[in-house]
Amino acid sequence: MRNFFLLIRRYNFLLAFLLLQGVSFFLIARNDGYQRAAIIGTSNQITGQAYEAYSNVTDYLTLGITNKSLAEENAKLRQGDSSAVYELGFELTHVNDSNAMQQYDYISARVINNSVKNVNNYLTLDKGSLQGIMPEMAVISSNGVVGIVKDVSEHYSTVISILHRSTKISSKIAKNNYFGSTIWDGKSPEYAHLYDIPSHALVGVGDSIVTSTYSGIFPRNILVGTVSEIGNSGQSFKDIEVKLSTNFRTISYVYIVRDLLKAERDTLETQTIEELKQ
Amino acid sequence: MIGTIVQNLFRFILLVFVQVFILNQITLPGSINAYINPNIYILFILMLPIKINRLFLLLICFVCGFTIDIFSSTAGMHASACLFIGLARPGFINLIMPRDGYENTVEMTLQGLGFRTFIIYTGFLVLLHHLALFLIEAFNFLNFFDLLLRVIISALSTLILIILSQLLTLRNR
Repeated sequence: MRNFFLLIRRYNFLLAFLLLQGVSFFLIARNDGYQRAAIIGTSNQITGQAYEAYSNVTDYLTLGITNKSLAEENAKLRQGDSSAVYELGFELTHVNDSNAMQQYDYISARVINNSVKNVNNYLTLDKGSLQGIMPEMAVISSNGVVGIVKDVSEHYSTVISILHRSTKISSKIAKNNYFGSTIWDGKSPEYAHLYDIPSHALVGVGDSIVTSTYSGIFPRNILVGTVSEIGNSGQSFKDIEVKLSTNFRTISYVYIVRDLLKAERDTLETQTIEELKQ
Repeated sequence: MIGTIVQNLFRFILLVFVQVFILNQITLPGSINAYINPNIYILFILMLPIKINRLFLLLICFVCGFTIDIFSSTAGMHASACLFIGLARPGFINLIMPRDGYENTVEMTLQGLGFRTFIIYTGFLVLLHHLALFLIEAFNFLNFFDLLLRVIISALSTLILIILSQLLTLRNR
Protein backbone atom coordinates (compact mmCIF):
# COMPACT_ATOMS: atom_id res chain seq x y z
CA MET A 1 0.00 0.00 0.00
CA ARG A 2 2.78 2.34 0.94
CA ASN A 3 4.54 1.64 -2.34
CA PHE A 4 1.33 2.35 -4.16
CA PHE A 5 1.10 5.83 -2.63
CA LEU A 6 4.76 6.44 -3.39
CA LEU A 7 4.10 5.50 -6.98
CA ILE A 8 1.22 7.95 -7.21
CA ARG A 9 3.31 10.69 -5.66
CA ARG A 10 6.15 10.05 -8.00
CA TYR A 11 4.09 10.08 -11.18
CA ASN A 12 1.36 12.49 -10.07
CA PHE A 13 2.04 14.81 -13.01
CA LEU A 14 1.66 12.04 -15.58
CA LEU A 15 -1.35 10.57 -13.78
CA ALA A 16 -3.08 13.96 -13.66
CA PHE A 17 -2.40 14.35 -17.37
CA LEU A 18 -3.89 10.94 -18.15
CA LEU A 19 -6.90 11.58 -15.94
CA LEU A 20 -7.74 14.93 -17.56
CA GLN A 21 -7.05 13.46 -21.01
CA GLY A 22 -9.49 10.69 -20.15
CA VAL A 23 -12.15 13.25 -19.27
CA SER A 24 -11.52 15.06 -22.59
CA PHE A 25 -11.86 11.90 -24.65
CA PHE A 26 -14.99 10.90 -22.78
CA LEU A 27 -16.50 14.27 -23.73
CA ILE A 28 -15.37 13.91 -27.35
CA ALA A 29 -16.90 10.44 -27.60
CA ARG A 30 -20.16 11.69 -26.09
CA ASN A 31 -20.30 14.49 -28.65
CA ASP A 32 -19.94 12.26 -31.71
CA GLY A 33 -22.76 12.41 -34.26
CA TYR A 34 -26.20 13.96 -33.98
CA GLN A 35 -27.87 11.03 -32.22
CA ARG A 36 -26.06 11.67 -28.96
CA ALA A 37 -26.58 14.76 -26.90
CA ALA A 38 -23.45 16.60 -25.86
CA ILE A 39 -23.00 17.14 -22.14
CA ILE A 40 -22.19 20.75 -22.75
CA GLY A 41 -22.23 22.73 -25.95
CA THR A 42 -23.11 26.03 -27.54
CA SER A 43 -26.80 25.38 -27.10
CA ASN A 44 -26.45 26.22 -23.42
CA GLN A 45 -27.84 29.48 -22.14
CA ILE A 46 -24.65 31.40 -21.39
CA THR A 47 -22.83 30.85 -24.67
CA GLY A 48 -26.15 31.17 -26.50
CA GLN A 49 -26.65 34.63 -25.06
CA ALA A 50 -23.07 35.63 -25.86
CA TYR A 51 -23.49 34.58 -29.49
CA GLU A 52 -26.87 36.28 -29.71
CA ALA A 53 -25.41 39.58 -28.52
CA TYR A 54 -22.59 39.17 -31.03
CA SER A 55 -24.88 38.40 -33.94
CA ASN A 56 -27.16 41.33 -33.06
CA VAL A 57 -24.21 43.48 -34.05
CA THR A 58 -22.84 41.53 -37.02
CA ASP A 59 -26.22 40.79 -38.64
CA TYR A 60 -26.11 44.27 -40.11
CA LEU A 61 -23.08 43.30 -42.18
CA THR A 62 -24.98 40.66 -44.16
CA LEU A 63 -28.26 42.55 -44.34
CA GLY A 64 -28.01 43.01 -48.11
CA ILE A 65 -27.50 39.33 -48.87
CA THR A 66 -30.19 38.29 -46.38
CA ASN A 67 -32.71 40.69 -47.90
CA LYS A 68 -31.98 39.44 -51.38
CA SER A 69 -32.47 35.78 -50.53
CA LEU A 70 -35.66 36.51 -48.58
CA ALA A 71 -37.01 38.57 -51.47
CA GLU A 72 -36.24 35.74 -53.88
CA GLU A 73 -38.04 33.30 -51.65
CA ASN A 74 -41.03 35.64 -51.35
CA ALA A 75 -41.23 35.80 -55.13
CA LYS A 76 -41.16 32.02 -55.32
CA LEU A 77 -43.91 31.69 -52.72
CA ARG A 78 -45.98 34.33 -54.47
CA GLN A 79 -45.81 32.24 -57.63
CA GLY A 80 -47.37 29.32 -55.82
CA ASP A 81 -50.09 31.45 -54.21
CA SER A 82 -53.67 30.96 -55.43
CA SER A 83 -53.85 34.55 -56.68
CA ALA A 84 -51.04 33.85 -59.15
CA VAL A 85 -52.81 30.88 -60.70
CA TYR A 86 -55.21 31.17 -63.63
CA GLU A 87 -58.09 28.89 -62.75
CA LEU A 88 -58.92 26.43 -65.54
CA GLY A 89 -62.17 24.94 -64.27
CA PHE A 90 -64.32 24.71 -61.16
CA GLU A 91 -64.02 20.98 -60.52
CA LEU A 92 -60.25 20.86 -60.90
CA THR A 93 -59.37 23.65 -58.47
CA HIS A 94 -61.57 22.39 -55.68
CA VAL A 95 -59.30 21.16 -52.92
CA ASN A 96 -60.69 18.83 -50.36
CA ASP A 97 -58.95 19.54 -47.05
CA SER A 98 -59.86 16.25 -45.45
CA ASN A 99 -57.88 14.60 -48.23
CA ALA A 100 -54.58 16.03 -47.08
CA MET A 101 -53.06 16.53 -43.68
CA GLN A 102 -50.18 18.63 -42.53
CA GLN A 103 -46.98 16.59 -42.21
CA TYR A 104 -44.33 19.27 -41.77
CA ASP A 105 -44.21 22.43 -39.69
CA TYR A 106 -41.59 25.03 -40.58
CA ILE A 107 -40.23 27.12 -37.75
CA SER A 108 -38.07 30.04 -38.79
CA ALA A 109 -34.90 30.71 -36.80
CA ARG A 110 -31.98 33.08 -36.85
CA VAL A 111 -28.42 31.77 -37.10
CA ILE A 112 -26.53 33.32 -34.18
CA ASN A 113 -23.29 31.39 -34.59
CA ASN A 114 -21.84 29.56 -37.54
CA SER A 115 -18.54 28.02 -38.58
CA VAL A 116 -17.18 26.76 -41.88
CA LYS A 117 -13.52 26.53 -40.89
CA ASN A 118 -13.36 23.20 -39.11
CA VAL A 119 -13.72 19.59 -40.15
CA ASN A 120 -16.79 19.46 -37.91
CA ASN A 121 -18.95 22.54 -38.26
CA TYR A 122 -21.92 23.61 -36.20
CA LEU A 123 -24.53 26.36 -36.26
CA THR A 124 -26.31 27.84 -33.26
CA LEU A 125 -29.94 28.93 -33.70
CA ASP A 126 -32.03 31.25 -31.53
CA LYS A 127 -34.95 28.81 -31.14
CA GLY A 128 -35.09 26.01 -28.58
CA SER A 129 -37.30 23.57 -26.71
CA LEU A 130 -39.77 26.34 -25.82
CA GLN A 131 -40.57 26.58 -29.54
CA GLY A 132 -40.86 22.80 -29.84
CA ILE A 133 -37.43 22.14 -31.31
CA MET A 134 -36.13 18.62 -30.71
CA PRO A 135 -32.88 16.82 -31.62
CA GLU A 136 -32.70 15.18 -35.06
CA MET A 137 -35.03 17.69 -36.71
CA ALA A 138 -34.06 18.77 -40.22
CA VAL A 139 -32.82 22.31 -40.85
CA ILE A 140 -33.15 23.93 -44.28
CA SER A 141 -32.62 27.40 -45.69
CA SER A 142 -34.52 29.12 -48.47
CA ASN A 143 -31.90 27.69 -50.86
CA GLY A 144 -31.69 24.11 -49.63
CA VAL A 145 -30.45 21.68 -47.02
CA VAL A 146 -28.48 23.01 -44.02
CA GLY A 147 -28.17 20.25 -41.41
CA ILE A 148 -29.66 18.37 -38.48
CA VAL A 149 -30.46 19.63 -34.97
CA LYS A 150 -28.13 18.18 -32.35
CA ASP A 151 -28.64 19.74 -28.92
CA VAL A 152 -31.48 21.83 -27.62
CA SER A 153 -31.76 24.10 -24.60
CA GLU A 154 -34.72 26.29 -23.67
CA HIS A 155 -33.97 29.15 -26.05
CA TYR A 156 -31.21 27.83 -28.30
CA SER A 157 -30.30 24.84 -30.39
CA THR A 158 -27.16 23.63 -32.14
CA VAL A 159 -27.15 22.18 -35.63
CA ILE A 160 -24.65 19.81 -37.25
CA SER A 161 -24.30 21.24 -40.73
CA ILE A 162 -23.60 19.22 -43.89
CA LEU A 163 -20.05 20.44 -43.33
CA HIS A 164 -19.42 17.84 -40.62
CA ARG A 165 -17.66 14.49 -40.85
CA SER A 166 -20.54 12.52 -39.39
CA THR A 167 -23.29 14.03 -41.57
CA LYS A 168 -24.68 11.85 -44.34
CA ILE A 169 -27.60 13.31 -46.25
CA SER A 170 -29.62 10.64 -47.95
CA SER A 171 -30.17 12.15 -51.39
CA LYS A 172 -31.12 11.30 -54.97
CA ILE A 173 -30.74 12.58 -58.51
CA ALA A 174 -33.95 14.52 -59.09
CA LYS A 175 -34.58 13.43 -62.69
CA ASN A 176 -34.19 9.66 -62.32
CA ASN A 177 -34.38 8.90 -58.58
CA TYR A 178 -31.04 7.08 -58.27
CA PHE A 179 -30.18 7.49 -54.63
CA GLY A 180 -26.97 7.79 -52.60
CA SER A 181 -25.51 9.81 -49.72
CA THR A 182 -24.10 13.30 -49.82
CA ILE A 183 -20.98 13.62 -47.67
CA TRP A 184 -18.63 16.56 -47.20
CA ASP A 185 -14.91 15.99 -47.84
CA GLY A 186 -13.69 18.53 -45.29
CA LYS A 187 -12.34 20.99 -47.84
CA SER A 188 -14.27 23.78 -49.53
CA PRO A 189 -17.58 24.73 -47.86
CA GLU A 190 -19.08 25.14 -51.35
CA TYR A 191 -18.78 21.50 -52.46
CA ALA A 192 -19.73 18.03 -51.22
CA HIS A 193 -19.68 14.56 -52.80
CA LEU A 194 -22.52 12.25 -53.71
CA TYR A 195 -21.55 8.60 -53.28
CA ASP A 196 -23.15 5.24 -54.05
CA ILE A 197 -24.61 6.23 -57.42
CA PRO A 198 -24.14 3.21 -59.75
CA SER A 199 -21.94 3.91 -62.77
CA HIS A 200 -24.72 3.10 -65.25
CA ALA A 201 -26.94 5.90 -63.89
CA LEU A 202 -27.34 8.76 -66.33
CA VAL A 203 -26.27 12.03 -64.79
CA GLY A 204 -24.96 15.27 -66.25
CA VAL A 205 -23.33 18.43 -64.95
CA GLY A 206 -25.99 20.82 -63.68
CA ASP A 207 -28.49 18.12 -62.61
CA SER A 208 -30.29 18.78 -59.34
CA ILE A 209 -29.59 16.64 -56.31
CA VAL A 210 -32.46 16.57 -53.81
CA THR A 211 -33.15 14.86 -50.50
CA SER A 212 -34.80 11.46 -50.38
CA THR A 213 -36.93 10.40 -47.45
CA TYR A 214 -34.98 7.22 -46.71
CA SER A 215 -33.23 8.64 -43.68
CA GLY A 216 -36.53 9.88 -42.26
CA ILE A 217 -35.05 13.25 -41.35
CA PHE A 218 -35.53 15.55 -44.32
CA PRO A 219 -38.78 16.07 -46.24
CA ARG A 220 -38.49 14.83 -49.82
CA ASN A 221 -37.26 16.96 -52.73
CA ILE A 222 -35.42 19.61 -50.75
CA LEU A 223 -32.55 20.85 -52.93
CA VAL A 224 -29.08 19.71 -51.79
CA GLY A 225 -27.17 21.16 -54.74
CA THR A 226 -26.32 20.72 -58.38
CA VAL A 227 -23.83 18.35 -60.00
CA SER A 228 -20.59 20.16 -60.81
CA GLU A 229 -18.22 17.33 -61.73
CA ILE A 230 -18.48 13.61 -62.41
CA GLY A 231 -15.72 11.12 -61.82
CA ASN A 232 -15.39 7.40 -61.26
CA SER A 233 -14.62 5.88 -57.89
CA GLY A 234 -13.77 2.23 -58.35
CA GLN A 235 -15.62 0.23 -60.97
CA SER A 236 -19.26 0.20 -60.07
CA PHE A 237 -19.92 3.59 -58.54
CA LYS A 238 -19.72 7.19 -59.66
CA ASP A 239 -18.07 9.91 -57.61
CA ILE A 240 -20.17 13.01 -58.13
CA GLU A 241 -19.10 16.44 -56.92
CA VAL A 242 -22.06 18.53 -55.83
CA LYS A 243 -22.10 22.31 -55.58
CA LEU A 244 -24.14 22.92 -52.43
CA SER A 245 -27.11 25.22 -52.94
CA THR A 246 -26.86 26.71 -49.45
CA ASN A 247 -24.15 29.30 -49.02
CA PHE A 248 -22.81 28.49 -45.57
CA ARG A 249 -20.63 31.57 -45.48
CA THR A 250 -23.54 33.99 -45.52
CA ILE A 251 -26.39 31.96 -44.04
CA SER A 252 -28.41 33.98 -41.51
CA TYR A 253 -31.99 32.68 -41.49
CA VAL A 254 -33.10 29.04 -41.62
CA TYR A 255 -36.20 26.89 -41.14
CA ILE A 256 -36.39 24.02 -38.68
CA VAL A 257 -38.63 21.26 -39.99
CA ARG A 258 -40.89 19.47 -37.53
CA ASP A 259 -42.14 16.16 -38.94
CA LEU A 260 -45.49 15.50 -37.29
CA LEU A 261 -45.44 11.85 -38.40
CA LYS A 262 -41.87 11.09 -37.33
CA ALA A 263 -42.78 9.34 -34.08
CA GLU A 264 -45.17 7.05 -35.90
CA ARG A 265 -42.62 6.14 -38.56
CA ASP A 266 -39.82 5.57 -36.05
CA THR A 267 -41.94 3.30 -33.85
CA LEU A 268 -42.99 1.23 -36.83
CA GLU A 269 -39.45 0.91 -38.18
CA THR A 270 -37.92 -0.09 -34.83
CA GLN A 271 -40.75 -2.56 -34.31
CA THR A 272 -39.93 -4.24 -37.62
CA ILE A 273 -36.25 -4.42 -36.78
CA GLU A 274 -36.98 -5.83 -33.32
CA GLU A 275 -39.24 -8.50 -34.80
CA LEU A 276 -36.58 -9.54 -37.27
CA LYS A 277 -34.04 -9.93 -34.47
CA GLN A 278 -36.16 -12.47 -32.63
CA MET B 1 1.18 37.78 -6.79
CA ILE B 2 -2.35 39.20 -7.02
CA GLY B 3 -1.12 41.36 -9.90
CA THR B 4 0.06 38.28 -11.81
CA ILE B 5 -3.29 36.53 -11.32
CA VAL B 6 -5.29 39.56 -12.46
CA GLN B 7 -2.99 40.08 -15.43
CA ASN B 8 -3.32 36.45 -16.55
CA LEU B 9 -7.07 36.41 -16.02
CA PHE B 10 -7.41 39.53 -18.13
CA ARG B 11 -5.20 38.00 -20.83
CA PHE B 12 -7.30 34.82 -20.77
CA ILE B 13 -10.58 36.70 -21.26
CA LEU B 14 -9.14 38.89 -24.01
CA LEU B 15 -7.64 35.96 -25.95
CA VAL B 16 -10.77 33.82 -25.67
CA PHE B 17 -12.80 36.79 -26.93
CA VAL B 18 -10.46 37.36 -29.87
CA GLN B 19 -10.46 33.63 -30.69
CA VAL B 20 -14.22 33.08 -30.48
CA PHE B 21 -15.63 36.31 -31.84
CA ILE B 22 -12.97 37.38 -34.32
CA LEU B 23 -10.72 34.55 -35.56
CA ASN B 24 -13.42 31.85 -35.56
CA GLN B 25 -15.77 34.12 -37.51
CA ILE B 26 -13.40 34.92 -40.37
CA THR B 27 -13.96 32.89 -43.52
CA LEU B 28 -11.58 32.85 -46.46
CA PRO B 29 -12.48 32.08 -50.09
CA GLY B 30 -12.48 28.53 -51.49
CA SER B 31 -10.74 25.64 -49.81
CA ILE B 32 -7.94 27.82 -48.36
CA ASN B 33 -10.52 28.42 -45.67
CA ALA B 34 -10.00 24.98 -44.17
CA TYR B 35 -6.20 25.32 -44.12
CA ILE B 36 -5.68 28.62 -42.32
CA ASN B 37 -7.17 28.06 -38.91
CA PRO B 38 -5.21 30.03 -36.31
CA ASN B 39 -5.64 29.35 -32.58
CA ILE B 40 -4.13 32.34 -30.88
CA TYR B 41 -5.78 31.60 -27.51
CA ILE B 42 -2.97 29.18 -26.56
CA LEU B 43 -0.74 32.23 -26.14
CA PHE B 44 -2.40 32.44 -22.73
CA ILE B 45 -0.88 29.07 -21.72
CA LEU B 46 2.48 29.95 -23.26
CA MET B 47 2.68 33.20 -21.30
CA LEU B 48 1.88 31.72 -17.89
CA PRO B 49 4.66 32.33 -15.32
CA ILE B 50 7.77 30.21 -15.84
CA LYS B 51 7.76 28.52 -12.42
CA ILE B 52 4.08 27.64 -12.24
CA ASN B 53 3.21 24.41 -10.40
CA ARG B 54 3.01 21.61 -12.96
CA LEU B 55 -0.27 20.14 -11.73
CA PHE B 56 -1.82 23.59 -11.60
CA LEU B 57 -0.59 24.17 -15.16
CA LEU B 58 -2.37 21.02 -16.38
CA LEU B 59 -5.59 22.14 -14.74
CA ILE B 60 -5.35 25.61 -16.29
CA CYS B 61 -4.68 24.05 -19.72
CA PHE B 62 -7.76 21.88 -19.37
CA VAL B 63 -9.98 24.78 -18.33
CA CYS B 64 -8.60 27.01 -21.09
CA GLY B 65 -9.19 24.42 -23.83
CA PHE B 66 -12.57 23.51 -22.41
CA THR B 67 -13.70 27.14 -22.55
CA ILE B 68 -12.97 27.21 -26.29
CA ASP B 69 -14.73 23.84 -26.63
CA ILE B 70 -17.89 25.21 -25.06
CA PHE B 71 -17.96 28.05 -27.56
CA SER B 72 -17.28 25.91 -30.62
CA SER B 73 -19.29 22.75 -29.82
CA THR B 74 -16.14 20.64 -29.97
CA ALA B 75 -16.53 19.12 -26.47
CA GLY B 76 -13.06 18.14 -25.33
CA MET B 77 -10.94 18.47 -28.49
CA HIS B 78 -9.28 21.75 -27.52
CA ALA B 79 -9.06 20.63 -23.88
CA SER B 80 -7.20 17.51 -24.97
CA ALA B 81 -4.87 19.42 -27.32
CA CYS B 82 -4.10 21.99 -24.60
CA LEU B 83 -3.25 19.23 -22.13
CA PHE B 84 -0.44 18.19 -24.47
CA ILE B 85 1.00 21.69 -24.13
CA GLY B 86 0.68 21.37 -20.36
CA LEU B 87 2.52 18.06 -20.46
CA ALA B 88 5.36 19.27 -22.68
CA ARG B 89 5.86 22.82 -21.44
CA PRO B 90 7.85 22.29 -18.19
CA GLY B 91 10.27 19.81 -19.76
CA PHE B 92 10.67 21.84 -22.91
CA ILE B 93 11.47 25.00 -20.96
CA ASN B 94 14.25 23.11 -19.14
CA LEU B 95 15.54 21.84 -22.46
CA ILE B 96 15.83 25.21 -24.22
CA MET B 97 16.90 27.16 -21.17
CA PRO B 98 20.39 28.70 -21.30
CA ARG B 99 22.92 26.92 -19.06
CA ASP B 100 22.84 29.57 -16.35
CA GLY B 101 19.02 29.50 -16.43
CA TYR B 102 16.43 32.21 -16.27
CA GLU B 103 15.42 34.11 -13.19
CA ASN B 104 12.08 33.09 -11.75
CA THR B 105 10.72 36.49 -12.64
CA VAL B 106 11.45 36.31 -16.36
CA GLU B 107 8.39 37.10 -18.48
CA MET B 108 7.44 34.52 -21.09
CA THR B 109 7.36 37.12 -23.84
CA LEU B 110 9.34 37.90 -26.96
CA GLN B 111 11.12 40.60 -24.99
CA GLY B 112 11.75 38.47 -21.91
CA LEU B 113 13.07 35.36 -23.63
CA GLY B 114 14.74 36.92 -26.64
CA PHE B 115 13.71 36.38 -30.24
CA ARG B 116 15.43 33.04 -30.91
CA THR B 117 14.35 31.27 -27.73
CA PHE B 118 10.83 32.65 -27.98
CA ILE B 119 10.39 31.39 -31.56
CA ILE B 120 11.70 27.92 -30.65
CA TYR B 121 9.56 27.80 -27.49
CA THR B 122 6.35 29.04 -29.17
CA GLY B 123 6.92 27.24 -32.46
CA PHE B 124 7.32 23.82 -30.88
CA LEU B 125 4.35 24.08 -28.51
CA VAL B 126 2.07 25.61 -31.17
CA LEU B 127 2.96 22.82 -33.59
CA LEU B 128 2.34 20.20 -30.89
CA HIS B 129 -1.04 21.71 -30.07
CA HIS B 130 -2.17 21.93 -33.69
CA LEU B 131 -0.95 18.41 -34.45
CA ALA B 132 -2.94 17.02 -31.51
CA LEU B 133 -6.01 19.12 -32.33
CA PHE B 134 -6.17 18.24 -36.01
CA LEU B 135 -5.45 14.56 -35.37
CA ILE B 136 -8.28 14.35 -32.86
CA GLU B 137 -10.63 16.33 -35.08
CA ALA B 138 -9.99 14.66 -38.40
CA PHE B 139 -8.35 11.31 -37.69
CA ASN B 140 -9.13 8.85 -40.53
CA PHE B 141 -11.30 11.47 -42.23
CA LEU B 142 -8.65 13.33 -44.20
CA ASN B 143 -5.62 11.72 -45.81
CA PHE B 144 -2.38 12.10 -43.91
CA PHE B 145 -0.72 14.55 -46.30
CA ASP B 146 -3.74 16.84 -46.31
CA LEU B 147 -3.86 16.73 -42.52
CA LEU B 148 -0.17 17.54 -42.20
CA LEU B 149 -0.51 20.47 -44.59
CA ARG B 150 -3.35 21.86 -42.49
CA VAL B 151 -1.35 21.46 -39.29
CA ILE B 152 1.67 23.25 -40.72
CA ILE B 153 -0.21 26.13 -42.37
CA SER B 154 -2.47 26.71 -39.36
CA ALA B 155 0.43 26.50 -36.91
CA LEU B 156 2.36 29.02 -39.01
CA SER B 157 -0.62 31.40 -39.05
CA THR B 158 -0.93 31.07 -35.26
CA LEU B 159 2.79 31.71 -34.84
CA ILE B 160 2.63 34.83 -37.03
CA LEU B 161 -0.32 36.18 -35.05
CA ILE B 162 1.49 35.48 -31.76
CA ILE B 163 4.62 37.32 -32.93
CA LEU B 164 2.52 40.25 -34.17
CA SER B 165 0.71 40.46 -30.84
CA GLN B 166 4.08 40.40 -29.07
CA LEU B 167 5.38 43.23 -31.23
CA LEU B 168 2.23 45.23 -30.52
CA THR B 169 2.71 44.95 -26.77
CA LEU B 170 6.43 45.74 -26.65
CA ARG B 171 7.29 47.79 -23.61
CA ASN B 172 10.03 50.35 -23.26
CA ARG B 173 12.44 49.64 -20.50
